[in-house]
Amino acid sequence: MTKRYPGSAAPALNALELEIPDGQTMVLVGPSGCGKTTSLRMINRMIDPTEGKIFLDDQDIQQVDPAKLRRGIGYVIQHAGLFPHRTIEDNIGTVPVLIGWGKQKARRRARELMDLVGLDTDMARRYPHQLSGGQQQRVGVARALAADPPVLLMDEPFSAVDPIVRTSLQDELLRLQAELRKTVVFVTHDVEEAIKVGDRVAVFRPGGTLAQVDPPSRLLARPLDDYVAGFLGFDRGIRRLSFFPARTLQLDADPLVPDRTTVAEARTRAKESGQPWLLVTDPQRLPRGWVPIAKLGELPVTRTLAEAPFEAGAHTFRVATDSLRAALDATILSPSGQAAGVDEAGRVLGVTSYDQLLIAIRAMTAGAGHEPGGEGEPA
Amino acid sequence: MDWGWVFGNIGELASLAARNLYLAMIPVVLGLLIAVPLGVLSVRWGWVYPPVLSATSVIYAIPSLALFVFLIPFTGVVGTTRDLTLIIPLTLYTLATLVPNVVDGLRSVPEPVRQSATAMGFGGLRRLVRVELPIATPVVFAGLRVATVASISLVSVGELIGNGGLGFLFTDGEQRSFPTEIYAGIGLIVILALAADLLLVLLRWLATPWLRSGRRAAPTPGQTA
Repeated sequence: MTKRYPGSAAPALNALELEIPDGQTMVLVGPSGCGKTTSLRMINRMIDPTEGKIFLDDQDIQQVDPAKLRRGIGYVIQHAGLFPHRTIEDNIGTVPVLIGWGKQKARRRARELMDLVGLDTDMARRYPHQLSGGQQQRVGVARALAADPPVLLMDEPFSAVDPIVRTSLQDELLRLQAELRKTVVFVTHDVEEAIKVGDRVAVFRPGGTLAQVDPPSRLLARPLDDYVAGFLGFDRGIRRLSFFPARTLQLDADPLVPDRTTVAEARTRAKESGQPWLLVTDPQRLPRGWVPIAKLGELPVTRTLAEAPFEAGAHTFRVATDSLRAALDATILSPSGQAAGVDEAGRVLGVTSYDQLLIAIRAMTAGAGHEPGGEGEPA
Repeated sequence: MDWGWVFGNIGELASLAARNLYLAMIPVVLGLLIAVPLGVLSVRWGWVYPPVLSATSVIYAIPSLALFVFLIPFTGVVGTTRDLTLIIPLTLYTLATLVPNVVDGLRSVPEPVRQSATAMGFGGLRRLVRVELPIATPVVFAGLRVATVASISLVSVGELIGNGGLGFLFTDGEQRSFPTEIYAGIGLIVILALAADLLLVLLRWLATPWLRSGRRAAPTPGQTA
């Protein structure tokens, strides 16, 4: 489709053709003025195309009454756009009431959705201005989901909140999406966000044309041209590690020593395994810190490691859920050049090193023929 | 100040005050009924607003006596339509405050709110009634308060055509050289204005529950966002 605005020679969108698969998150990303928001708004007919057609399933949306069409499409915008004069529950129940559910049923549904998006139902009777920006945005998402529409449009939904809240909202969206499998169209100018939340990412060029549409991992590995590569920014290789799981890493249990071990025993252990650093763990196998073997020589042999001068705060990654990127990061930050892989409870399973990471990364590069296709777990 | 006279004529004073209130409030209600559609049109089509605003301001600048004189041939100073001779000019005067307030109120609706209402499938009229007008309420009430107080005070000018509510006390007191009556008139107009204003404040409080609750509550523990 093409969109031209009167008084402007160049079209805002130029012969755009995009297929959005069911049940996936399609992110539209690009610099400002590239037509990504225009494209989004054409889907619910807030803007009509100058040329071209949009089909929802097999229905040409130009044939549908806009108000009816919109009630079946959830919409989330930057500043939430909540109704200031309505309580949270009535805000969330807006579309259900419009389609005739009745107030009571709509309010029950509102409370279910508050649970779903991680809001305390005690807030149901409050007004939007009594909530923080992040909470308002959660209400915005709940409101969009209220009538259970198959399609959700999100226009820079998390751009106006601080980075910590933004990260938690993104995580929440990923969790919701894993559960609900809506067809989501998500507009952002933040390429990191695009890569994190998208199953597929459509990169727009200034002038309203598409540069590339691909799963994020493939986008990072193989940008089609210099524009896309430049837009993705540097670090593409490192960022791509986000899509490969850390559980493929080989873990080594040799450097692990309980903190009740004496200095003498520890020295013997280190000599046998040839380890320059030991990871001291407490009785629950939670990591306490790294001790360099060299330092052990200065201590009385009968002391236990609990009293040794270890470097507190072992750098860890979660083996089951983290990515290679998190493991590499922990390794770089660790004084020993080794990072502790932990289970869900934080107990150490073993340590990994640059050598192990290198093996995993080589395997990843070798297997680049079959892309993880956005199925990986972004860290 | 002859308080004996005041207490002796309390019934007469009360009925003058009631009549003053009636003659003042009908124009405010009519003015609001005219100002809302004018305001809505002015917001929807921006070019409508400047001429509407000029017209209401020009009317406001016409002395009330001139308007009375203009209307007397049509509505008279006696008979059933005589109140209209007063009500019509006062109604027109309220527009000078009410129309800009309706416009400002509607413009105070944040753009994201308007957009999300449209995107959720509100049609134009439903959006106006359920979303835009409620949000405009506080600003409209501010205009209503000014219009009401002005109207209560302006009614007394109607005494020039023999229909001025409490204004009767001014002319009568003047003719009889009896200042108490004049003071009583002033006092009652002030009391009436304050009471009406208080009532409007109360009405606004009832109509806008979302403005009552305190600002942002303390974040719930464990809730990061």
